[in-house]
Amino acid sequence: MDATHAGKRGLRVAVTGASGDFGRLLLPLLEKDPAVESILVLDVARPEGAKVEYHRVDLTRHDAESELTEALTERRVDALYHLAFLLGAVRSGSLAHELEVVGTINVLAAVGRARLPRLVVPSLTAVYGARGQHPALLREEAPLLGCPQSRFVSDKVEVEGQVRAFRERYPDTRVLVLRFAPILGPSMDNPATRMLKRPVVPTLLGFDPLWQAVHEEDAARALHRALKADTSGEFNIVGQGVLPLSGLVRQAGGRLLPLPGPVFRTAVHALTAVGAATLPVALLDYIHYSWVADGERAETALGFIPIHHARDAAAALRRS
Amino acid sequence: MATKGVLGNDPFQRGAAQRPTESRSSQVREPAEAPAAKKARPASGKAAAKKAAPSKATAKGGKTVETPAIHGAKTVQVRKIAAKAPKGAKGRKPGRAAGPSSEEAQRLREPAAPVTPRRRPPARVPVIPEGVEGTKPRTKEELEVDQVLATAVASEATEAAAEAAAEVAVETLLRLQAEQTGVPRPAPGSLDEIWNRELATAVVAEAAEAAEAAEAAAEAVLESALAAAKSGARPQVETQDLEERTTISSAYVEDEESSRDFDDEVTIIDRAYREETEPYLDGLPEQSEEEQPDTERDEFPPGRTTPLSVVPPPSDREPAQEPFFTDQAQQEPPSPPPGGMFSLAKEIALQALASASVGKALGTAQGLLGAALAGLGASGSTSLDEYGRDSELVSELQPLLDFLYERYWRVSVQGADVVPVGGAILVANHSGALPFDGLVASMALQRERTELREPRWLVEDQIFHAPVLGTLFNRLGAVRACPENAVRLLDERRPVIVFPEGYQGLSKPFAQRYQLKRFGRGGFVKLALRTGAPIIPVAIVGSEETTPLLGRIPAGFLGVPYVPLTSPMPLPARWTLRFGEPMSMEGLGPDAASDLAEVHRLTERTREAIQGMLQALLRERRSVFAG
Repeated sequence: MDATHAGKRGLRVAVTGASGDFGRLLLPLLEKDPAVESILVLDVARPEGAKVEYHRVDLTRHDAESELTEALTERRVDALYHLAFLLGAVRSGSLAHELEVVGTINVLAAVGRARLPRLVVPSLTAVYGARGQHPALLREEAPLLGCPQSRFVSDKVEVEGQVRAFRERYPDTRVLVLRFAPILGPSMDNPATRMLKRPVVPTLLGFDPLWQAVHEEDAARALHRALKADTSGEFNIVGQGVLPLSGLVRQAGGRLLPLPGPVFRTAVHALTAVGAATLPVALLDYIHYSWVADGERAETALGFIPIHHARDAAAALRRS
Repeated sequence: MATKGVLGNDPFQRGAAQRPTESRSSQVREPAEAPAAKKARPASGKAAAKKAAPSKATAKGGKTVETPAIHGAKTVQVRKIAAKAPKGAKGRKPGRAAGPSSEEAQRLREPAAPVTPRRRPPARVPVIPEGVEGTKPRTKEELEVDQVLATAVASEATEAAAEAAAEVAVETLLRLQAEQTGVPRPAPGSLDEIWNRELATAVVAEAAEAAEAAEAAAEAVLESALAAAKSGARPQVETQDLEERTTISSAYVEDEESSRDFDDEVTIIDRAYREETEPYLDGLPEQSEEEQPDTERDEFPPGRTTPLSVVPPPSDREPAQEPFFTDQAQQEPPSPPPGGMFSLAKEIALQALASASVGKALGTAQGLLGAALAGLGASGSTSLDEYGRDSELVSELQPLLDFLYERYWRVSVQGADVVPVGGAILVANHSGALPFDGLVASMALQRERTELREPRWLVEDQIFHAPVLGTLFNRLGAVRACPENAVRLLDERRPVIVFPEGYQGLSKPFAQRYQLKRFGRGGFVKLALRTGAPIIPVAIVGSEETTPLLGRIPAGFLGVPYVPLTSPMPLPARWTLRFGEPMSMEGLGPDAASDLAEVHRLTERTREAIQGMLQALLRERRSVFAG
C-alpha cells in the first residue's frame, strides 16, 4: 500500500525532530495540506499545531527503538519524516553524533519493524565533499566522499550509509533521501548561514568556488513534495543557478577577506587547537573547491522546481 | 532582488541617477546669481516643467525616459541664466564667475555638448571686445583681471554652447511628449520606440564630431584674449582685437560648416522620421510655440528653417563608454580652480578622457580589474553558469580579447567550416606554458562559426588546483577535463575542445615545441565512440612562442607541482589554427570503447593527423612574430 493510493482517508504522517530547522519548515505545510489528517510528532518538545499528536520520544535513549515501534504500530502511519538532525551550533559533538547516528539506527529499526510504506530522510549535498577532481555537476550516483575533518558532514555520510543498507533490506518501503544544498533563509541556522551572516567572511585568496543555495521556502516545498511523490532514491535539492562564494557573500551583505592559503590554514588550525574556532576546519574544503550538485533528478522524478535563485536565497539572509 | 539587478543594468535608470546630481550642483550655484535667476526662471523653467508633467503622467510606459528629461529641462533653464549672469557681473567680480562656471560647463558638456556650434558664435563676437576695451589704462591688476575675464568668456562660450545643445534636446523631447499626449503612446518596444532609440544613437555619434569644433573655437577665444591681456599696449589691443575677430569669425565659419553638415544629416533623419510618424505629427501646433523663446533671443541666428527635432532625450544620448567619463567628471572636486590656465588644462584632460579611444582603454582596464578580482576570488559576480563561466566578465573583457585575437596574435583560421553543428570533439595540441590555446581556439570557433553553440575547452586538474589562474580560466570558460563534464557538454550539443596531451603538453621544454606527447589513455576516443560525436583534429601554431616555457619553479605549497617560468607578458607571435577533416570511426560502435587496442589505434591516428598538420603549418610559416 502506498501513501498516494491511501484512498479517501487522510494521510497520517509521523515526524521526528519536528522542532528542528527541517521540522519547522515542514510542519506548517503539513498543517495546511488537506490530504494530511494528522501529524504524529515524535520528539522531546511539543510543537504547536491543530493536527499535531504528540508522543514524547528521546531518540538518544537506549529504549527509543521500542517506544518508536510502539508509537508507529499503535495506529497506521503512512509516512515517517526523520528530521532529527542538528544543523545549528552544536556544543557537544558527541551528543550530536549520538542523536544523528544512533538515533537513526533506532528510527530505521522501528520503521522496519512497523513496515511503514514511506520514509523521508534529509541530507546535504555536502556529503559529496568538495574536491578538485569532482565533475562540474555532481549527480546522485557520485560517491559520498564527505569531509573527514568534519563531524557534521561525516555523521550525515554515515546516516546515508545506514539508510542505503535499510533500503536494500526493506525494498517495500519507499525511501527518499533529499540532499539539500545549503539552506538559506531568515529562520535558518546552519553552518552556511552562520558563515554568511558574518560581517567579514575569510576566503582563500585565488579561489572562488561555485556554491549553490536553496531558499528555505523551496526546501520546505521539496520536503512536502516527498510525501506524495511516486518515486524513491536520492535527490539533490538545489536552488536556481550557482554563485561563486564571493557572490554569495556579497549578496548576503558581508565583506570578503581573501587570505593566502597557508596563512588561512595555519590560522584556522591554530584557532581550533585553542578552542576558539570561529570557522570550522571542515569549511576549508568547501571554500576551496566547487561542489555543485545537479538538481535535474529532483525536477524530473520528484517534480520539484526551485522558485528562488541562489542570489535571492542569500539576499534573504541579509534582510533577516 | 532580481528586479534590483535588472534595474541596475537599465541604461535609463543610469541616466536618471546621474541627472539629479547635476541639477543639484546647479542649484548650489544658484544663489550667486540669484537676482537674475529669479527673474528668468518662472517664465521659462516652470513652463517647461509644466508641459513635461502631464505627459509624464499619461505616458506610463515611458516613465523612466521622461523623468530624467524633466531634470534635464530644469538644468538647462538654470544654465541659461548662468550663461547670462556673468555679462552683468563681469566688471566687479569676474574671478568668481569664471571659476564655477567653467566647472559647470565641463559637467554639462558631457551629455549635452554635441549640437553646440550652431548658435553660440554670434554672441561671442560682441562680448570680447567689450571686455577688452573696458580696461583701457592697463595696470598690473587689470592684466590679471583680463586674464580671468578671458577664462570667464571662454567658459561662458562653452557653457552656452552646451546650453544650446541641451535646449534643442529638450525641445525635441517636449515635442515628442506633446505628440505622445495627443496620440496614444505606442507600446514599449514597438517600432516607433525602437526607431527613436536608433535615431538617438545616430545623432549622438554625429554630434560628438561637432562638439570638437566648438571646443576649438572656445580655445581660440581664450588664447587670443590672454595674448591681448599680456601685450598691454593700447594700439596693439586694437590689432589684437581685429585678429581676435578674424579668429573668431573663422572659427565661426568652421562651426557653421560643420553644423550645416550636421543639419543636413539631421534633416534626412528627420524626414525619414516624419515618414514614419506622419499620423502623429499632424496635430502639433504647440510645437512652434515652444520654440518661440529661442527665436526671440538676440544671439539666436535667424533663418534656421528646419526645426531640429530629432535630438533624442538626454537619457538616450550617452554612448556606451561614457560612464567612465561621467564618473570622473563627477568625482572632480567642486572647488573653484586657482587659475584660468589650470582650469584650461583640466578641461583638456577631461576632453581627452572623453574621447573614444581612451574610453575604450578605460573599459579594458575595468575588464582587467574585473578579471584580477575574479582571479583573486573576490569578484562577487552573480552571472555564472554551472560550469563557472562568467558571462559578464567575458563581455567586459571582450575588447581586450578581440585586440589580442586580431591585432596582437593575428590569429588566422583554416578550415573552420568542417566543424559540424552539434556536439563535436575538437582534439588539439597543447602548448605554451599557459593554456591560452583553449581560449583562442574557442574564440576562433565563435568568430568563424557563429551558428555553433558556444564552445568550451577542457583543461586538466592541475590548472584548476592552481590559485588565481585556475579560477580565472574557469571564469573565461575552461571546464575541468573529466568524462562526466565532456559527456554533459556534448549532450548540450556544444563543440568541446580537448587537449589529450594534458599537463605534459604544457610542461614540455621550448626545445620540444610542437612535438606531440603521448595522448593520454585515449579518453577522447572512448568519448567519441560512446557518444557518437565526431573527432576533429586541430593544429595550433603560435602558442609555444607566445608563452615559451623557460623553466619551472617548484611550488608544492601552492598545490601545484610547479610555477612555469615564462615571459612576463604573452609575446606577439602569430597564431594559426587549422581544422582537419573529421576522423573516420570506421563504423565502430559504442562497444569498441572497451576495446583498448582499438582505442589506442584510433588515438594514434588522431595524433598523427595533428602532427602532420602541425608540421605542414610550421613549414608554411615564414616568421614567428612578423607578418
